[in-house]
Amino acid sequence: MNQNKVAEVKNLIRNYGPRGFQTKVLKGIDLTVYQNDFIAIMGPSGSGKTTLLNILSTIDRPSQGTVMLGEQDIAGLSNKELSRLRRDKIGFIFQDYNLLDTMTLQDNIALPLSLNGVSGGECVRKAQELASMFGLSEHLKKYPWQLSGGQKQRGAACRALITDPEIIFADEPTGALDSRSGRELLECLKRVNERGQATILMVTHDPFCASWARDVYVLSDGLIRCRISAGAQRREFYDRIIEVQTSMGGDFS
Amino acid sequence: MRMTGLAFMNFRNSFKNCLSLVASLAFTIVIFLNFQNLIYSDALIQLGEKNKRNMDTVIQVISIVLVCFMFFFIWYSTNVFLTRRKKEIGIYIFMGLTNQRIGKMYMIETALIGLSALGFGIFFGIVTTGLFQMILLSLSELAVEISFRPVFTPVLVTALAYLAIYVIFVIKGYVDIVRSSVLSMLTGARQNEYVRQSRALLFLRALAGVAVLASGFYLAVKKGGPEVLENAVGAVVLVILGVYLLFGGLLPLVFQWVAGNKRFLYRRERCLWVNNMIFRMKKNYRTWAMVCVLVLCSVTALATGFAARMRYENMEKFEKVYTFQLLSDQSDLDERARKLIEESTQIAYSSFLPITTLSESQIRTTTRYTGYALTSYSALRELAREAHLDFDLTEPGAQEYIKVSNVILFSLYTDVTAETAEIEGKVFRQTQRTQAPYLGYLQQRHITLFVLGDQEYEKMRSIGKQLYIYNYSIADPNAFVSAREALGELVAQTDDYYVGRVSVDPLSDGERNWVKVLYSLCVFMFMVFILASASIMFMKLYNDSFEERERYLIMEKMGFDAGALGRSIGKELAVAYALPLLVMGVASYFSVHALQMVMSADLGMIHLVSVLVVVTVFLVCYGLSVMVYRRNAGV
Repeated sequence: MNQNKVAEVKNLIRNYGPRGFQTKVLKGIDLTVYQNDFIAIMGPSGSGKTTLLNILSTIDRPSQGTVMLGEQDIAGLSNKELSRLRRDKIGFIFQDYNLLDTMTLQDNIALPLSLNGVSGGECVRKAQELASMFGLSEHLKKYPWQLSGGQKQRGAACRALITDPEIIFADEPTGALDSRSGRELLECLKRVNERGQATILMVTHDPFCASWARDVYVLSDGLIRCRISAGAQRREFYDRIIEVQTSMGGDFS
Repeated sequence: MRMTGLAFMNFRNSFKNCLSLVASLAFTIVIFLNFQNLIYSDALIQLGEKNKRNMDTVIQVISIVLVCFMFFFIWYSTNVFLTRRKKEIGIYIFMGLTNQRIGKMYMIETALIGLSALGFGIFFGIVTTGLFQMILLSLSELAVEISFRPVFTPVLVTALAYLAIYVIFVIKGYVDIVRSSVLSMLTGARQNEYVRQSRALLFLRALAGVAVLASGFYLAVKKGGPEVLENAVGAVVLVILGVYLLFGGLLPLVFQWVAGNKRFLYRRERCLWVNNMIFRMKKNYRTWAMVCVLVLCSVTALATGFAARMRYENMEKFEKVYTFQLLSDQSDLDERARKLIEESTQIAYSSFLPITTLSESQIRTTTRYTGYALTSYSALRELAREAHLDFDLTEPGAQEYIKVSNVILFSLYTDVTAETAEIEGKVFRQTQRTQAPYLGYLQQRHITLFVLGDQEYEKMRSIGKQLYIYNYSIADPNAFVSAREALGELVAQTDDYYVGRVSVDPLSDGERNWVKVLYSLCVFMFMVFILASASIMFMKLYNDSFEERERYLIMEKMGFDAGALGRSIGKELAVAYALPLLVMGVASYFSVHALQMVMSADLGMIHLVSVLVVVTVFLVCYGLSVMVYRRNAGV
């Protein structure tokens, strides 16, 4: 495994609410993400997985603890610097795709690159290359409303990958997809991860979805309760996740 | 719940959203009512019968323009409203409502909006009529007593005109909904703004637009006779149609080309703003075309106003060149007349011109005039010298003449050299035309002078009656009455020899006050059109910005640079404001040029100033729009 740290969280605490009435959502998380990792964060509702993702992706700020993205501690960064960090180092895949319905799929994929000032030719080349990798070459000229959910989510993944981000954060990427579309997306993500093209951190409640990752961290009550690493067989990995889920109880939906 | 109740509830709940629609409709009613009120109120009667009659004609013409404006404005705003509501009311389909019932609900809702707008419009219209008249008349520098009593007829006319137009579009909306498929109603907001047509069709449309516009421009500047009026009407229709076709064909074509050319498209923010524009292309090009026509109207209105004002001042100057003019068959009256005037005041300057008058049977011209006279080139040059008037005419050759005519507000004859005159069977060609006031009031009202070369005049002078014109301008305008009385002695002897006299009181007001009002009305129309076009642009972009909020939120979440998003908004809005201005810039050149010919006035500077005013207003609006857009979109 390549030991370059992409993200590191130490004693991460996140409180919400006014002083004296605070709710502790994250109670001291320690997590290190290395280059080319494929991590799934699982946990019951209210366990803090989305909060963790939001903080890691710089959309939210921690109450205590340190969050390093590459060499940078996000605590001391201004909003503008955070925005630049998101643009340069992070790719996002949202549950509801968030493709812009004003433009075609190709334009959606190429947009982050073109906004970064990359030449038109390079944008076209990379967009087409990624679209081909995700089986979307036929749909590049279509608008989002002309695409199926699975195609949209694969398009969103292409968009997240086009800037070669250091890490991709995926928030319930298969949440709005049927099982076949979900599988297609995960296959694609797995492929790019195995080719060494992406480090992925994914939040999901779905053990099937989590079983495509290499490591699964199970969160409960604001703390990481266990880490499950994949073996040779995905089926066996899936069974172990289910086992842990059952032993912990709670609502994982 | 009954349909009416549901519609009423919708109307009440979404009143805040409809406010811009109600306000804009009410605005058109206020404007229309104010103009109608001018016809029926007694303010203009005080300006005299002739002024009132002319003013009424002008206001009727403006009313027709305003009705057209109201028609397009209601069309546009109800269309925007329908598109916005379609998706929302489409949800009722899942409640088992038929298209007809949804259409009915839409009709009730829009009727409520229309009636509230009418109520507000009439109320504010009545409240502002007095103020409007006051501003208008003070701008016209006229002292007239204004009553603030509301008059019923203009209210009725306004309400009827507005309702007639509004009902058409309410019914159109109903038919539109009844004919819509369920899917199109639900996805309408997402798809239907994109212009989906083949490139060939768009190209043909753009080509037709250019051809129609070019024909309109040609008609506008074509010189001619009475057909100029028909040409002008034709030009207006063709320019409106051409602008619409051009925007509807060329813009989708160009933007689609840009969107297809990815290497060109993927340059910084271009991908974002170009796609945003394409997404709403249908709404965009319709708005731009409408704004372009409105701005064109505003520039033309201002140019008309200024031209009218300039003409008025010229005409006034024309009549006041001389205080007294004597027309006699005696060539030796000057000394006696001079003596009589100088009993009361000094003579500032005087002049003299021998003429040969012709009867109507002796001369045939392209246009009919009130009186015909011949004079020689040298005699006129001498008169110009005596009266300190400019003289830059060249002596006509054999069978040529220079026409010295009056100044009128509008002349349909725009081709100066096409006129000929047949004098005693001999055809003369016009080489020049001048409207310099060599013969003052007589020239303005009674005599059209045909200036011949000296030799030609010598040959022709015997064909008519020889008369002499004596012109005097007094130094002290207050001595007018006494000088006039003194001159009466000469006029009284008309039994012995013929003496006609013209007296123009230097201190009197003319009968052309209506031209001053016309000027103010044109300035007012300019402001109405410019405000309307700027507010249409602003309103459209304001609504767009709310639709964009979600998209910009996504982009911000993804870490897209806020500066880049801001620049994208700036560019998108700049193009939106610049396109109508660009086409208007070209079109207004032709409209002002046409006006220049009809009114024989140099409007170059006025054109430039009015375009600059429009550009300034648009720049301010642009700045505001960018600010509001960024705020609403959360950038």
